[in-house]
Amino acid sequence: MKQLLSVALGVLTAIGGFVDIGDLVTSGLVGSRFGLSLAWATLVGVVGICLFAEMSGRVAAVSGRATFDLVRERLGPRAGLANLAASFLITVLTFAAEVGGIALALELASSVNYLLWVPAAGLAVWLVIWRVRFSVLENVFGLLGLALVVFAVALWKLSPSWSDLAHQVLAPHNPSGEGLPTYFYYAIALFGAAMTPYEVFFFSSGGVEEHWTKRDIRTSRLNVFVGFPLGGLLSLSIAATAALVLLPRNIEVDALAQVGLPVAVAAGKLALAAAILGFVAATFGAALETGLSSGYAVAQYFGWQWGKLVRPREAARFHLVVLASTIAAVATILTTIDPIKVTEYSVVFSAVALPLTYLPILVISNDRDYMGDKVNGRVSNLLGSVFLVLVVVAAVAAIPLMLATKAGQ
Amino acid sequence: MIAGAAVVAVTGCVAPAPSPGAFEGKAVQTAKAALSSVDTALLASATAVRGRLPQPYLETTLSSAEDSLSSIQTAFDSVQPPATATSDRLRDTLDTLLSRGSDGLAQLRIASRREDHAVVAEATRSLQQVADGLDRFEQEHSG
Repeated sequence: MKQLLSVALGVLTAIGGFVDIGDLVTSGLVGSRFGLSLAWATLVGVVGICLFAEMSGRVAAVSGRATFDLVRERLGPRAGLANLAASFLITVLTFAAEVGGIALALELASSVNYLLWVPAAGLAVWLVIWRVRFSVLENVFGLLGLALVVFAVALWKLSPSWSDLAHQVLAPHNPSGEGLPTYFYYAIALFGAAMTPYEVFFFSSGGVEEHWTKRDIRTSRLNVFVGFPLGGLLSLSIAATAALVLLPRNIEVDALAQVGLPVAVAAGKLALAAAILGFVAATFGAALETGLSSGYAVAQYFGWQWGKLVRPREAARFHLVVLASTIAAVATILTTIDPIKVTEYSVVFSAVALPLTYLPILVISNDRDYMGDKVNGRVSNLLGSVFLVLVVVAAVAAIPLMLATKAGQ
Repeated sequence: MIAGAAVVAVTGCVAPAPSPGAFEGKAVQTAKAALSSVDTALLASATAVRGRLPQPYLETTLSSAEDSLSSIQTAFDSVQPPATATSDRLRDTLDTLLSRGSDGLAQLRIASRREDHAVVAEATRSLQQVADGLDRFEQEHSG
């Protein structure tokens, strides 16, 4: 019974934890411009994150070591350092976007300018990372993030033509007025938002923090294969509500407030309050994950003591990196740069960095020295190889498409 | 470094429109973006009138739409139009619509904060006319 509860909690946490500011903004933006004709990109991204999160969870459970711990050892210090530099920068950029997301969500609830919320949000994130137990922070914000289910309720209340929505998903087309480069630019953004590298850093490091063993592989797989796809459905619900309410009114999402409007239109104030709670929880949870992931990446690469289960005094350098990353994230948003733009760039640059994260995971999960008899099977390797080609294509195309479309304008 | 260069290239200053056709394309993109801001405000206001949007959310949405329209107008006004009478007319027509939109959004925000329903209704009617004008402009000048 206790194990069943643990699995249920893990699955619920994975659903709530899947959606972050990148998913919120990108799903709303794409829904308002392309309807559900880009749903395939989210679905492909969900399959990809399931595949590689399962591998990284299995690596953590079998070897007792997290991703970056093994990257340096397996790929060597130079390749490992290049990997670390790119992944760390993307993670801190995503961290800044999440802090901006918390502030924007609080502005929606209070009408107090988001810039005034930014230092408070940064301080709260750092205090929670410093003081709150790992299992508590993982479960509480994941569960509160489930409030975003209100988007699925709003979708149902809007009484859409389900066959029309299904047609948009199953027979994708590029709506008139949108160039093909713009269409594929946003496909890459959705793919990058679903496969953000910090998700696997956090997942594998969390496994080590929770002392996973081979016996936990089943639980880890359930969390991944049930939680992430259901989280993907939340993203699709956000896109679908935007497609139904905003697209016919010529509204293109460029602010978080627009993402929540369809919920108010469909279901009123209480539902909107749930959506705002979901925004705060999802962005706060993701800020904790990105903040911790920045510390995990650096500490694991350099072989420092890391983690929340050891006393801060014994993992001082890990906590110093987390603190410095928090200050950098807060400072970035306080420059008054638009947090939504930071989010848009963070998901596209995430796509650029994807091969650096996922190639080592595929290599290590095939290494019998680390994995023994738990190496990848044929299906995992076939799918992993296909996705590696996809992430390379996305990484190569992302910057040229960004320049050609002026970031999707 | 590549990422940094890309951001600079994408977010850098708007270059002067090189030809009347390119200027018209820029004007259409501007009208489309402005229409999105005006329609956002109209939807938020209509939803609030139905009692479905809390006051802080309404205020934030209207302020955001106003800021967005202001930066759209600034960006368009910074473009040097080609030296043709058609381009000058195009600029004047769109700029008038953008200015009326900015005024209407400010009026709507102020009236919404004061919960002055009569002025809200008047500002909404005025903004609807701007939205219709922007929509017509976009249709007339698109491809």
